[in-house]
Amino acid sequence: MKQTIRVTINGRLYEEDVEPRQLLAHFLRDAIGLTGTHVGCVVGECGACSILLDGKVVKSCLHLAVQADGREVTTIEGLAKDGELSPIQEAFVKNYALQCGYCTPGMIMTSHALLRDNPNPSEEEIRKALAGNLCMCTGYVQIVEAVKEAARGSKNG
Amino acid sequence: MDNFIGKRTRSKEGPRHVTGRGLYTDDFRLPGMLHAMILRSPHAHARIVSVDPGEALKNPNVVAVVTPQDIKQTTKPFKPGRYAAGLKRSIDEYAGATEKVRYVGEPFGAVAARDRGTAEDALEQIQVEYEPLRPVVDVREAMKPSSAVLFDELGTNLAWNGSLSYGDVEGAFKSADRVVKENLKIHRYSSTPLEPFIVIASYDAASKRLTVWVTAQVPEVIYDGLREALGLQDIRVIIPDVGGGFGQKIHLIRKYVVLVSLLSMKSGRPVKWVEDRSEHMMAGGHACAQEFEAEMAVKNDGTVIGLRFKEYDDVGGSISTLTIHFTNKLNNLSNTYRVRNIALEGFAVVTNKCPVIPNRGIGKPGMCYVWERMMDRVAQELNLTPIEVRRKNLIQPDEMPYATPSGNVYDSGDYPGLLQGLLEKIEYDKLREEQRREREKGRLIGIGVVIAVEPGGRNAARDMAIFPEMKEPPGSGGVNGAKIKLEKNGTLSLHLGSPNCGQAHETTTAQVAADLLGTTPDKISTSIPFDSDLSPWGVAAANSGNNFHLYDIGAIHGAATRLREKVLKLAAHNLQVDPSELTIEDGVVKVPGSATKQITFAELGRIAYNNQHLIPDDLEAGLEATYYYTFPHAKPNLVPGAERLVRAQFTFSAGAHAAIVEVDKNTGAVHVLRYLIVGDNGTVINPDVVNGQVFGSAAHGIAVALGEGFIYSPEGQPLTVTYLDYGKCSAAETPRVEVMHRPSPSPWTALGQKAAGEGAAIPSPAALASAVEDALTPFGVKVCDLPLTPEAVWRLANHNPESERRSY
Repeated sequence: MKQTIRVTINGRLYEEDVEPRQLLAHFLRDAIGLTGTHVGCVVGECGACSILLDGKVVKSCLHLAVQADGREVTTIEGLAKDGELSPIQEAFVKNYALQCGYCTPGMIMTSHALLRDNPNPSEEEIRKALAGNLCMCTGYVQIVEAVKEAARGSKNG
Repeated sequence: MDNFIGKRTRSKEGPRHVTGRGLYTDDFRLPGMLHAMILRSPHAHARIVSVDPGEALKNPNVVAVVTPQDIKQTTKPFKPGRYAAGLKRSIDEYAGATEKVRYVGEPFGAVAARDRGTAEDALEQIQVEYEPLRPVVDVREAMKPSSAVLFDELGTNLAWNGSLSYGDVEGAFKSADRVVKENLKIHRYSSTPLEPFIVIASYDAASKRLTVWVTAQVPEVIYDGLREALGLQDIRVIIPDVGGGFGQKIHLIRKYVVLVSLLSMKSGRPVKWVEDRSEHMMAGGHACAQEFEAEMAVKNDGTVIGLRFKEYDDVGGSISTLTIHFTNKLNNLSNTYRVRNIALEGFAVVTNKCPVIPNRGIGKPGMCYVWERMMDRVAQELNLTPIEVRRKNLIQPDEMPYATPSGNVYDSGDYPGLLQGLLEKIEYDKLREEQRREREKGRLIGIGVVIAVEPGGRNAARDMAIFPEMKEPPGSGGVNGAKIKLEKNGTLSLHLGSPNCGQAHETTTAQVAADLLGTTPDKISTSIPFDSDLSPWGVAAANSGNNFHLYDIGAIHGAATRLREKVLKLAAHNLQVDPSELTIEDGVVKVPGSATKQITFAELGRIAYNNQHLIPDDLEAGLEATYYYTFPHAKPNLVPGAERLVRAQFTFSAGAHAAIVEVDKNTGAVHVLRYLIVGDNGTVINPDVVNGQVFGSAAHGIAVALGEGFIYSPEGQPLTVTYLDYGKCSAAETPRVEVMHRPSPSPWTALGQKAAGEGAAIPSPAALASAVEDALTPFGVKVCDLPLTPEAVWRLANHNPESERRSY
């Protein structure tokens, strides 16, 4: 039996009928077509599906779509405005903080939230904050550099 | 001309990935598409008695089922490829098991339903009756006559055994002052790409055309596999963005492409299959566990005069990748050392575990592990320093190009320079002092210094050296294409023969093409996805960092050079000058110093596709060039002769690594305090890209050494089917790797470039073993086996090396 949910995604309200067992990650990808949210494990270990739910970083594979009813979701597609990259997105591009790109949306959502809550994180704080987001390609060096650079930019700006 | 080569340029891939606009296979949806699940064995070893899908098919939303009978009746086995070379009797391997299952997770059927949930439910309704057989888990047990046998056709689990020898090994061991012996072991692991296997197959029955979208690394393997198994002629392989490869997505994935294609053929609908994480961990392919019995013949002054070793490979439950970890030993058989007498013997043993696959380095980390562990042993036994022993045996820069005893020819390199650079950078002597002081305070600091080559390029004819019974080489050298087209508006588009799975193909090729054609990377777009209908073939590049530099860059270099000639000829005709008078700057072809004698790429584009009158009679219309590259210096030893000399690979990057660790005696935890690399990747086209490859490969090798890995129960059940069980490292556990470059450009490649990709994954396990052993010096224990989990290290530090061995 499908249920109707109303959820605001990247500032736009959607009203959709969903299966109660549908995961939020699959809802975003399949029903809304926001395929930037990637799925790497479906058990909350890899972080590729990280999004903001009411401003908090969550793994969208650990939530059901129905749990997003009445709430606000921000996905990777919601960060850039009119083709202009957000500072953390720009820092990822500039620092080559990605290789295959599969972990990137989740990494950026987590980094975005970290910098919002802690605009001047130490390297250790960055690494701890990103511990729920796995990357198989980069060895994390350039990712950490990108977060640092975005932090410096926001301070200067 | 070098406006972009060697520079930090803006990433071409970055903008789409940071905005979530990458397009991976799972992002595509076709009308009427069904969703598949794979039927897999819960047993390590069992006979399939019967499979009855009747109950599942009662659900109207379940559209098609593939059973072992279907596989046997409607498909053909894959042709035994080069990875199966050496098998004495041919054994049919189909896309799924047909009579017996040989590892937990082995596929033997599939189901397609209107949605994934229904497909998952249907899987549970397929009635399968098994006759469980005794599992074969331990390599040594597997070789005993009392063991159960995986392949009845072979009558033994020792599926292959063979040896080869270079130089006078017997003589070297006879004349040695001392023979140093050690048994060593590397466990099962994988690079576990974050994007699992994903396939979409769409069969058009009326036109007998099959189109597949797949996250694969080598289009050729998919193309050939489908043709062999399904007997189809009209096949189109599309490879969109690939979420990480590392070798995982070369070989085994073809099985699933066939099974999903069968579902599409049966149902008449497009079918998508998305592997889940636990499926990948149990059945997506592992790097081979390798055991070595190594012996080194040495002189008292530390000169190594001979190396011989036996290698026991735990290859899992398939014969299709039987010998790859052994055959790859020829690629770095000499490492960085001028030892002329080397013998090796391989034992490929099938077991009821996941099949092995070509994972980052394929057997080369094992070869390096043998060399570098043994060098430390020699130092210990002769009471020399590990640095002295290495220095004594390094190939010298003035010996380049250097022919190794097995026929490899090292193109360039300064190994003593790399080692020296590393020692200076870490302030080695000071560090040793500090270590002594800290040890007195009870801190267990360890320093490991190793050195390694990173071979690049490919030569399938290598295998003939190991299997002399082969009459024809299974291919030789490598061929890779690239196409480049000047568009009507003056921009350029590139088509590569190999798909991009994270090595920045688009960025790097644009840099090279921009410099050769006198334009800027922002005016160049590289076509993604790979499409076998449109793209040139990329047999050689295999979507890997250790081939991309040679074949893709070679092909782009060739195509751009060819196009430049055409551009100059067309421009010269229209400007009424000789082509030799022209230069190209920023997309404008001009006579230097003249304000009027110039023409833009956009103007040339309009002429080339539109205005016959302005095209010289002896010039083909259009501005497009294709180039298929082969390595021009592949001879001699491209195909081995009686001496079994062969070029296993063609370019030789190198790196010296230092690991500085601290061991906690109470917990066995190893903390990497510092990890530094001085590397030679030849001419670096983009430093950020190359650094990224080095950081990533080092981080993986370090994590492998310190505990990530696959574990099986004595019954052959995989115990590590999630990232958490497996022990994947996050940013919090991964040390910050430091990299310095000390390049020796290759004299034989287009730009002097050499490989960067597998690189740091080759020596890093050995570096960690060396450092941990050094830290444990006060306890007088030896580090022989990986991984160095806290448990293993604790047992070593607490004088309990006889740990209960689990089966890795």
